[in-house]
Amino acid sequence: MTVTPQQTSDTPIADWVTLSALHADPFPIYRRLRDEMPVSWVPAVGRYLVTRFADVHTVDTDAETFSADESDSLMKRAMGHSMLRKDDPAHQRERKAAGTPLRPNQVKKQWTPIFQRNAEALLGGIRGDGAAELIDSFAAPFAARNLAEIIGLPNASAQDMRRWSQTMIDGTGNYADDAHVWERAERSYYEVNEALDEMIPRLRAEPDASMVSAMLHADDPLGIEEIRANVKMTIGGGLNEPRDVLGVAVHALLSEGQQLAQVLAEPALFATVFDEAVRYVAPIGMYPRQTTREVELGGTVLPAGAKLGVVAGSANRDERQFEEPDTFDVHREKKPHVAFGGGAHYCLGAWAAKASVATVALPMLFDRLPGLRLDPDRRARAAGWVFRGMAELPVAWIR
Amino acid sequence: LPKITYHHDDGTQDVLDVADGSTVMRSAVTSGVHGIVGECGGQAMCATCHVYVREPDLAALPEISEEEEEMLECAAAERDETRSRLGCQLTLGGQLPELEVDVPKAQV
Repeated sequence: MTVTPQQTSDTPIADWVTLSALHADPFPIYRRLRDEMPVSWVPAVGRYLVTRFADVHTVDTDAETFSADESDSLMKRAMGHSMLRKDDPAHQRERKAAGTPLRPNQVKKQWTPIFQRNAEALLGGIRGDGAAELIDSFAAPFAARNLAEIIGLPNASAQDMRRWSQTMIDGTGNYADDAHVWERAERSYYEVNEALDEMIPRLRAEPDASMVSAMLHADDPLGIEEIRANVKMTIGGGLNEPRDVLGVAVHALLSEGQQLAQVLAEPALFATVFDEAVRYVAPIGMYPRQTTREVELGGTVLPAGAKLGVVAGSANRDERQFEEPDTFDVHREKKPHVAFGGGAHYCLGAWAAKASVATVALPMLFDRLPGLRLDPDRRARAAGWVFRGMAELPVAWIR
Repeated sequence: LPKITYHHDDGTQDVLDVADGSTVMRSAVTSGVHGIVGECGGQAMCATCHVYVREPDLAALPEISEEEEEMLECAAAERDETRSRLGCQLTLGGQLPELEVDVPKAQV
């Protein structure tokens, strides 16, 4: 990997941060970073981490200084060069083509009935068991089936989608340059191309509501390499997020009996549960940016070309923005958070995620699995920091 | 210079002189006007720059596009059939040298 001069003699260095500690529980680390060195070089990560809400906001709203088009990007290698790693106007062109199926009206009319069908089928399959690990048996396959249909890959199974998503994400985070990780990511890369090669002629001839169809038939249609890269980015970035917000929301509600009772009595609150869950544990905890010039941020002078990790997971727990940020509270004062990012790259899937989780999955889950509770014999566990969610969520209910 | 007045719920106001071509959202976010969020940066995707335009200025506004129309239905504060607009779709200058808006109580 290229090593560019990233620091000066005044650069605050957080050499006490380790990857294993971040993976297990990043929040105490984020708190210390926010308090002591809000924009600091973190050797373990090879980036400056930006941890305060205000500084994250600054980065999100100044794309000229803080570019998404990172050099030596592992994501570009793992998934191709998608719009997520481009700046406007190139980004805007692709986003306009791909984004129509994800607008609120389309989500409501086209996708919500499909979300309902998928949730119903999966819950029907486990209902009689009385207990399950909820991520593997519901949250992940639910997110995967929904995503395959939105993208326009009905020829991909939920298992395919999950394997592709995870292996390409692992490639994106393969800073250790592990050959085995690259090998698996590359296999997925070509499998997705094959699945697309199968679908594209069909969708070219018969347009439908999917993203691939939208990209093919846009006023300014995208080329095959652009479609491939954006589909891979969407597989990488569209599966974990609804899966993880669902897991975090269920875990939080089952841990906070009083709030659960209030929500069940007033189901309109599921929308608030969704927003509070993404604030509480941002599913995408960190995303990269690179400076295009020397700039001061949060008291630290960043050289041109500095690689940043914008830590949404920390900004959403910033005491300067939220009262008692480490508490899950559906009654907290509503304030903007950065779980969906901000500015030009604001999450394209935000409305689809909201509908699938808040409108469909959460209400149906508590309805179909009566007496839903945490399994007293098996521990629930959260993990991750770049992506964070429930790694295991064992639950039980009345059969 | 074009001028935008933002009226807040508590009776206070922010008055901004803005450059030709600035939007109601971008001007507010750049100057830190309270109550305008603009999460999506102006692509009619988030409905967090919702404003109520004051009567005298309504006739000078551009048509509501299909995208703005659907987002107004998603706004946190109640939509006003005649006065509700997204600040990111209102560009100052030309036919719109001045604008007065009321900032809703909630954007999220």
